[in-house]
Amino acid sequence: MSRTLKLAAVIGAITSLPIAPSVAAAENLRVVASFSIIADFAKNVGGDRVDIVTLVGPNGDAHVYEPKPADAATVGSADVVLVNGLQFEGFLQRLVEASATKAPIVELTKGGEVLRNTEEEGHHDQHKAAEGEGGHAAAAEEGHEEGHHHHGESDPHAWQSVHNAELYVKNIADAFCAADAAGCDTYRANAKSYGQQLEALEAEIKAAVAEIPEDKRTIITSHDAYKYFEHEYGIKFLAPEGVSTESEASASDVAALIKQIRQDKASAIFVENVTNPRLIEQIASETGLKVGGELYSDALSDKNGPAATYLEMMRHNITTIKGAILGS
Amino acid sequence: MRTNWASATAIALLLSLSTSAAHAEEVTAWRLFISDHADPKVTVIDAIDGEKLDTFEIKGPASLHRSESGRTVFAVQGSAGVVAGIASGISFEDHGEHGDIDVEAPKFAGVEITGNKPSHFVEHGGDFAVFFDGEGVARIISEKSVLEGKPDFMEVKTDAPQHGVAVAYGSHVLLSEPNREKPDELPVGIRVTDKAGAPIGGIHACPDLHGEASSGNILAFACATGLLVVSHGDGSPAVRHLPYADSLPDGKTTTLIGGRGLQYFLGNYGADKVVLIDPTIESDSFRLINLPTRRVHFAVDPVCAKFAYVITEDGQLHQLDVVKGEIANSLKLTGPYSMDGHWSDPRPRVAVAGDKIVVTDPLQGVLHLVDATSFEKTGDIAVEGKPFNIVSVGGSGQTHAGE
Repeated sequence: MSRTLKLAAVIGAITSLPIAPSVAAAENLRVVASFSIIADFAKNVGGDRVDIVTLVGPNGDAHVYEPKPADAATVGSADVVLVNGLQFEGFLQRLVEASATKAPIVELTKGGEVLRNTEEEGHHDQHKAAEGEGGHAAAAEEGHEEGHHHHGESDPHAWQSVHNAELYVKNIADAFCAADAAGCDTYRANAKSYGQQLEALEAEIKAAVAEIPEDKRTIITSHDAYKYFEHEYGIKFLAPEGVSTESEASASDVAALIKQIRQDKASAIFVENVTNPRLIEQIASETGLKVGGELYSDALSDKNGPAATYLEMMRHNITTIKGAILGS
Repeated sequence: MRTNWASATAIALLLSLSTSAAHAEEVTAWRLFISDHADPKVTVIDAIDGEKLDTFEIKGPASLHRSESGRTVFAVQGSAGVVAGIASGISFEDHGEHGDIDVEAPKFAGVEITGNKPSHFVEHGGDFAVFFDGEGVARIISEKSVLEGKPDFMEVKTDAPQHGVAVAYGSHVLLSEPNREKPDELPVGIRVTDKAGAPIGGIHACPDLHGEASSGNILAFACATGLLVVSHGDGSPAVRHLPYADSLPDGKTTTLIGGRGLQYFLGNYGADKVVLIDPTIESDSFRLINLPTRRVHFAVDPVCAKFAYVITEDGQLHQLDVVKGEIANSLKLTGPYSMDGHWSDPRPRVAVAGDKIVVTDPLQGVLHLVDATSFEKTGDIAVEGKPFNIVSVGGSGQTHAGE
């Protein structure tokens, strides 16, 4: 498939470390998940045998997350660190270095089919460095080589395909088994059970998409987070921002998108839970499209929201998309 | 001017193996900019081989600031009433999967910002704001204008002369509010204005405001009561007050620097303490670290995010582990520098240049070099006069033959 490449060929920012020794059976596995969707997968696989700390929580944007010293301490004391990989967590390398952790850093996209990042070349340097001042002789804060968040040639939002979510779950089970052999049967059983729920979810999504006329399957979101969904289920997503929310869309990007929306006769437009809705509202105003609701892209909702788990998130998204298109 | 920079600044580390980048070289370059305590000059030294690259004659003793990009160094000459921009000669271009480095001779940028008593200098988002205490006026200019030699600055005025500060914050300006009852004392708060200086909302109280820094996407001002924490709000800056924890002893922060790589702030707190601040959490935001003697200067490590450095008056350089919140290592580096006397007496300053920690020793006329990994002293660089304030710029990138 021309638009895919094997992840094995991609050199990630972080190389998985050697597997740590198995923990004592009486202790729960200390797991760090880089963001909320991975934490939900880990909870389903680990059950009561794991304690999970999530770095980028509900409605948080991992693209622009700034790790804290407390995060480094958390990673430093973890038994397993679960990450997406594909340079989704731009903060990861510096966080892992600061933590001096001996835990394995497990990239959950490993072994999957990965879509290329179709974002145009010419990456903007938007890194947010810090500078200091104060007193009459300010301290020096220097360097250029640190703090950068380079987005790779791969689209990191692989979880937007339920098929890929099954791979995440398998990789989590493998990692937990390696770290806690005594619990391996439990992890495998949990993964199998959750995998059945994922299969049912995928069938639901495909059935919902089938009800949407093919000429109405173009929609707008804030950033390019849904290319896996598009690839797997046949809904075309356009967005003013690229695969990362770190770089803001330029005026010419927005103008080009509005032109494309009119050409492609987009059916609906949606805000995302991790991005500012202003730009989408502006585009909606200029194109006459009505905002069809909020989609969850890179993070779950809080526990009281409509997307507190991965299963709920995917159901919410397809229900919202279908409702907006068919109601338009 | 000396121009031996070309032979001294870059070290080729590896050759790319790819066909398309057959002529790409990985190059590392670091430069130190050092002002003198007494003489109006800025000395530029190649941090890799220790060679002097140039000396810039300026109009008065200066404090130094580097831009976030590292392309510009500013010499704030308070007594001379001028801020001079110097192009560092090192610049980077981000190409996503790699970055290119360009190394040229440092030179005056051709822009000077003049006024009465320039003091606090703050960069935010590529815009520099210099506050002129004697006028109560901030002059704001972009790095692009400075490097193009265009003095295209705008002015934002406060109501009165003050030891103030301004931050160009996107389409807004954050301005210190003078103490109207006691004009000689520190500002009492922050006011948000538009670029024309028109106020937006009321004053955010910040008694004894002194010290500003940013770390990642958060900006903070130090007050007698805690910090004012500024983040991006819905259409305008969101400002909230973070009070000092009840567990802290009496004291306040008056100098603040921002962590890089990790998001935190490091401030002074009393003469012999520093405080690590995480403004994003509700409890345990403040972690106090006691020092063996009074603090002289401190800096964060931009490459190894886990560490910051403090030099104390007994001549020891301390490596702070900002994750654990404790001193990890200490190294005797200079003779004693008492904090008694005038605040601006010649005392050491700290900068980090890649894997080197550099400490000025004004009374000995040297820079001490410490390996940031082993935390062992590796050498000295002699500098004429009394080397005082110091900043470094540099990093690594690729160069492409034929470009």
